[in-house]
Amino acid sequence: MKRRTKNLFLNWRIILLTLVLIGSIATLAVRPLTFGIDIAGGVAIVAQTEHPVDADTMQLVVDSLQKRLNTLGVKDITVEAQGDQIVLVKVANVTTPEEANQIKNVIESQGVFYMEFGGVIFGTGRDVEYVGIYQIKSDNTWAVPFRISKSAAEKFAELARDKAGWPVDMFLDPPVNSLIIVSESVYKTMNSSEFNAQAPEAPTLMERITKAFNITVVTYANQSADEIAKLAESKEKIVLVDVPQELQAELENVNVTVRFVPRNPGESDHSLIVRVLGLYGPYSVGEGLATGAPQQDVQITGTAPDRLTAEQEASTIYTVLKSGSLPVKLTVVGMEFISPRLGEGFKNQALYAGIGALIAVLLIVYFHYRNWRIALPVASTSLFEAIIILGFAALIQWNLDLPSIAGIIAAIGTGVDQQIVITDELLGGEKTTKITRRSSVLKRMGRAFFVIFASAATTIAAMSFLLVYFVGTLKGFAFTTILGVLIGIFITRPAYAEIAKYILGED
Amino acid sequence: MSKSKTKDIPTAGEAVRAKKRQKLSFLARMEYKKMITYPMVVFIVALILLAINFPTLGIDLQGGVVVTAYGIDANPDELAKYISDQIGVDVRVESFTGVDTNGVRVYAPVGTDALKIIDVMKVRYPDAEYTHSEVQPTFGKISQQQGIRALIFAFIAMAVVVFLFFRNLVPSLTIIFSALSDMTIAVAMMGIFGIQLTTATIAALLMLIGYTVDSNILLTTKLLKRKEDTIEDAYLAAVSTGFTMSTTTLGALFILWLISTSQTIDNIAIVLIFGLLADFMNTWMLNAGVLRWYLDRNTVRGGNE
Repeated sequence: MKRRTKNLFLNWRIILLTLVLIGSIATLAVRPLTFGIDIAGGVAIVAQTEHPVDADTMQLVVDSLQKRLNTLGVKDITVEAQGDQIVLVKVANVTTPEEANQIKNVIESQGVFYMEFGGVIFGTGRDVEYVGIYQIKSDNTWAVPFRISKSAAEKFAELARDKAGWPVDMFLDPPVNSLIIVSESVYKTMNSSEFNAQAPEAPTLMERITKAFNITVVTYANQSADEIAKLAESKEKIVLVDVPQELQAELENVNVTVRFVPRNPGESDHSLIVRVLGLYGPYSVGEGLATGAPQQDVQITGTAPDRLTAEQEASTIYTVLKSGSLPVKLTVVGMEFISPRLGEGFKNQALYAGIGALIAVLLIVYFHYRNWRIALPVASTSLFEAIIILGFAALIQWNLDLPSIAGIIAAIGTGVDQQIVITDELLGGEKTTKITRRSSVLKRMGRAFFVIFASAATTIAAMSFLLVYFVGTLKGFAFTTILGVLIGIFITRPAYAEIAKYILGED
Repeated sequence: MSKSKTKDIPTAGEAVRAKKRQKLSFLARMEYKKMITYPMVVFIVALILLAINFPTLGIDLQGGVVVTAYGIDANPDELAKYISDQIGVDVRVESFTGVDTNGVRVYAPVGTDALKIIDVMKVRYPDAEYTHSEVQPTFGKISQQQGIRALIFAFIAMAVVVFLFFRNLVPSLTIIFSALSDMTIAVAMMGIFGIQLTTATIAALLMLIGYTVDSNILLTTKLLKRKEDTIEDAYLAAVSTGFTMSTTTLGALFILWLISTSQTIDNIAIVLIFGLLADFMNTWMLNAGVLRWYLDRNTVRGGNE
């Protein structure tokens, strides 16, 4: 008996398990586990680019988002590209739903930026070389200084010569190449000199956007969906502004891209137009810029009724100019906010659920074999397996999210199954005579491990696709499942087989 | 140690095991025609159920807004009416209970402002803990496509591995069909119990591939490489092991479902429970029936491999 025990403890499989287990506990002690947003709290935002982009552009998007959120003072951010269209932004330490929404808005306001004069685009976001800190004076006028590229400055100087007081517009994500259907009053306002700064003789806003962005504006006069679709034939999309919403469904039925913009309660034509076009301005051209001499250092100024509004206006422009460098438009397509307090609850629950499941395994295995000497090793091997998976997760700083935890549970579930296969194979040999026992044990173990390897291989094969192809949260699930299965077949299952052989007197 | 002591090494109570086998022996006595017919009928019923009542898609697959409030007790219908009246958008409210907290989930269509719902709810429940998430339909579609792709690829990968391991057409196809039937039945049950198809439940279906193949591989290995005297003995040995495996897993999953209030974990647990129950039938009746029929036809090559 003593020699058997000694042999057991000197078996390399047991030694391996012990070492890995100690290593895992040590790792967990030194490097605590990190948890995903859905457990630790925070906001996870999925953004999608307007169209698929190449790897370089994607990297640019990721970098500029990161920079942007950093400058806004948001902490604990990870920005990660998945595939050619999806960007995943995770921000920890977000405590209120409002804060979460602000971050979402920031990401979404990252857009494509244009500077336009007289219907000609003289610069885009790429031409904004530097944005200075905005200033607000005591009379509530504000100024945002910035520098534009040499080519933009030259183009502008030529365009704006002798046109002091004319309007300069800036656009963030205007509906380029589209047909805009508007109500009559909106049409009138767009076609008037309301957006002409101090130059009634300048082209109207409508003329400017038509020339610059290939936007056609049409008044809604009960045209049928087919008629409208025909007008929009060469356009990318149709924007419906302040018209009956039924039109949207009708147009979608004839397979055109439609965006519906309703008028907010109490919203004026002016602010509705500004909102639809993503218009900032118009700003009037100062005397100094109308001389024909190119100037790279320029500034936008404005006056507000009070300091707070001035601050808001200035910071909006500041942000818009800063974000102008994004190469492609991003839309937030999904977001999830979990308050940290709740996350704490989830963490405890996962722990309780894990312990509860382990106890359930212990009791059920006991019930089947009526033998603690089988039930305890089975349950403790599963516990060891969980500790090793967690230790590994801590080692590589894997963020444990709920799907990852589900993966661990799945791995442990198959682990228990496989231990039962081993146990039953060993027990199945009770009838055999002593002489044939040894070889038969080997054969039966071989059979058990055939089952184990086959099912491990299928699980890994099935999950690896998930790991490679999927975006979003299921990666964590696949990762921990595969990790658990690997730890199972290389470390815990062989060790359990030795323990079981020892306990069942089969070695 | 004395000889008698060694003999006393407590193996599983043989009596317990014998009893279990006896209890399960009705399965061994069943004709294989019936063993194949019953699960096939269930599979077809599941297909019909799916055709008329496919599970609804969760917001992560079709888009929408959900606000969850923890720490409140509310009448869902009344709350839904209240919120709908206040924000002018139709919402659906679901309540849930957990070990340490109760709460509600408010589902609203795409484009609804989650913060508005929270504001309206805060009037009534200022102390609740709120979380919200929203998904645009475009992303829902991407997730849907990926989910389907993941399921198909995983299934094919599983099938290939099973073929490689057994290199035998009939047993491999049976295993693959069993897995397919398990998943189909699980999805049909989701439809019946109103469990939504989400990325989490797709994960659970993928997990099912791993779980269900386990018991099928066990059975196939035992029957094809059997050492026991008769097919019946081999079958009963496998069934008894499989029974232990399934009940253990089911027990653990049930506890998980009971304790967790996380919808993700709850749904994964419940779908796995459905799948494992289906698998019990598919492995020990369908797969066993086909294998016994197959072994009877191909007069077995003695006891050795």
